[in-house]
Amino acid sequence: METNLVLQNVLTPPVLFFFLGIVAVVLRSDLEIPAPLPKLFSLYLLLAIGFKGGMELESSGLGGQVLPTVGSAIIMSLVIPLICFVILRLKLDVFNSAAIAAAYGSISAVTFITAESFLESQNIPFDGFMVAALALMESPAIIVGLILVKIAGTKNRRPDSRPMKWRTILRESVLNGSVYLLLGSLLIGFLTAAHNPSGVEKMQPFTGKLFYGAECFFLLDMGIVAAQRLPGLRKAGSFLIFFAVLIPLFNALLGIAVAKALVLGPGNALLFAVLCASASYLAVPAAMRMTVPEAKASYYISTTLGLTFPFNIVIGIPLYMGLVNTFIPS
Amino acid sequence: MKRLDLIFSERELDAILTALENAGAPGYTVMKHATGRGPETIVSEDMEFSGLGANAHVIVFCDEDIINKTRENIKSILNYYGGVAYVSEATPL
Repeated sequence: METNLVLQNVLTPPVLFFFLGIVAVVLRSDLEIPAPLPKLFSLYLLLAIGFKGGMELESSGLGGQVLPTVGSAIIMSLVIPLICFVILRLKLDVFNSAAIAAAYGSISAVTFITAESFLESQNIPFDGFMVAALALMESPAIIVGLILVKIAGTKNRRPDSRPMKWRTILRESVLNGSVYLLLGSLLIGFLTAAHNPSGVEKMQPFTGKLFYGAECFFLLDMGIVAAQRLPGLRKAGSFLIFFAVLIPLFNALLGIAVAKALVLGPGNALLFAVLCASASYLAVPAAMRMTVPEAKASYYISTTLGLTFPFNIVIGIPLYMGLVNTFIPS
Repeated sequence: MKRLDLIFSERELDAILTALENAGAPGYTVMKHATGRGPETIVSEDMEFSGLGANAHVIVFCDEDIINKTRENIKSILNYYGGVAYVSEATPL
């Protein structure tokens, strides 16, 4: 791994603010961010990233690498939860395995945004259409997780369990607030860029100039939340701790292999690897809490947020960049 | 007059309110962002951004027959997703 890349990644404001949040919890500072604000910032980040992605999708069009890349991303979000499920079943029951597998098959928008910031700091170009892959990778993993519960877990469900309704499952996976906003913003960005260029200009101060500051603020909160979730890892046990660190590496390698087959440039390849390596803590926990209450939320939140997320944004992104540079030389 | 106190995850708020309305509750008070400690873990607001926020506290003042009408429905929701419900006597001023 190129130590220099790790250092350059760590010394960026978003990652430093993330550490500031962690240190605040460790030192028991009274720093507290009122509850509605992180929610507002997460919605803002999804809106801005979707809008910008839609604009760039319009300018790049749907030809060339766009459709194969987006299609491969969707396939990865179907395959990764299956691989994770098989591994997790070695130690966990069907419900926890399916919920955690769904979380790892889905993506983390903030990890993706951090990877974009990293690429910008390194002056490595990437395409806006990768946001379309981001938006379309969230839902399939949720559906796979719930199908796994339906197939493998029916006999083991609690006596008071409610039958899973496909309508509820699809509603939770596609109309979940974060997925809906991301897809909606992508469409609005696309339509605005195509038919109303002055609208793009008017949005720029909001979706463009404020973005980096909002990302820092959100990562400050994520640092606090991640640190608060660390004690939950003790309950999760060593198997899940190893899983939370090793599976992103495996998924990233898988992503890099697919990116190489798709002949993606280094920037897009890193984003593709990050999408495969990251785990969801927005849409999936909400959907799993609703549809698989048998799964322990502390397991899938502690692993994704307490370990995989910090690992990816601090070490993972530069490490995957090093792997991309090795396997896909520019 | 009875007082019904319900404490459960905000995620189930719509389902609980629908159950109360279907039973004919004359009204209710909802307090969101309720934190504290449950049987397994601390309930905090720290996952607000993901939709897995804190608890909601719902208070209903109504006649006993309304509570009886909604009893099974609410018990089923709370047994499945978690939460508590208590009924007590209430005396109007």
